[in-house]
Amino acid sequence: MGKFIKICLSGCLIFALCFVSVPAFGKGQVMTRVKVIHASTGQNYLDPGLRDIISELETVFKYTSYKLLKEKNLNQSFNRQSRVNLPGKRTLVIMPLDTNDNRIRYQINILKNKNSVFQTRILLRNNSSITIGGPKFNNGYLLFNIAGAVQ
Amino acid sequence: MKTKCSKYTSEEISRFVDNELFEDQYKTLAQHIEQCPHCSELSNQYKTLSTVFNNHVHEKENLKIDKALLEQKFDRVMQNHEKIPWGNIFGFSKKYILVKLTSIAMISLISLFILQKALFTPTGPSAIVKYVDTDYSSVMIIETQKEQHTIIWFNET
Repeated sequence: MGKFIKICLSGCLIFALCFVSVPAFGKGQVMTRVKVIHASTGQNYLDPGLRDIISELETVFKYTSYKLLKEKNLNQSFNRQSRVNLPGKRTLVIMPLDTNDNRIRYQINILKNKNSVFQTRILLRNNSSITIGGPKFNNGYLLFNIAGAVQ
Repeated sequence: MKTKCSKYTSEEISRFVDNELFEDQYKTLAQHIEQCPHCSELSNQYKTLSTVFNNHVHEKENLKIDKALLEQKFDRVMQNHEKIPWGNIFGFSKKYILVKLTSIAMISLISLFILQKALFTPTGPSAIVKYVDTDYSSVMIIETQKEQHTIIWFNET
């Protein structure tokens, strides 16, 4: 039975190692990915680049066409602003502030003609995303899918 | 005290004792040994050593080896080497091996289940909106049912 106990202990060790190997939620860099989407009721089209979020958007919106206009990956430091140019003389200003309970605190501003038209502060779950939408563009609407992950 | 003899080397005397010299050399050295106490003593020492050695060899020759038994033993050892000792890999004994393997499998499954719950199940909405400030009056905050994906919708009119 001594060997059996050893085996059980080995199992527990592997289990413990699994927990240890889970990366700590530290305060390094933040990888932010911004997807600019054009949603409309035009001809049916689902952009292959939006496969991961389309199913979620379709549960809320009744648009028939989702086109990925732009995708930008930002390797950000905390409290450092990044800007993404958006269609229609708009600019997205995004800044990770800190982390809290497996979430990243972001300050997000949308400017139009250099004037702030929308601003929000969110706690985004690590390795998750939020969609901000509303601005009209080309017989449809613009959606901004923002995903964040602590490096 | 016996004086050392420089006429013959110890090797030549050893060869004399072992009867490895030519006949004339043997006779000459035999005559010398009769007269030289040093060489005589050396020769006696070699003879004693040779006798002890020969006796030991004869004793070994008297030991009988059972070849059939030896072959049988050899075959048995070879057969054991060919068998893969599955039962002893990682220190397992064959006894209760199924119970042990099942236990390990169960521990692994429970670990995976707990890890999956802890790491992969979303807790709460994808984003918690702390505040929204806009020049436009209509703002909606939506959370999808399936993945709890957060959507902020504002009317830009």
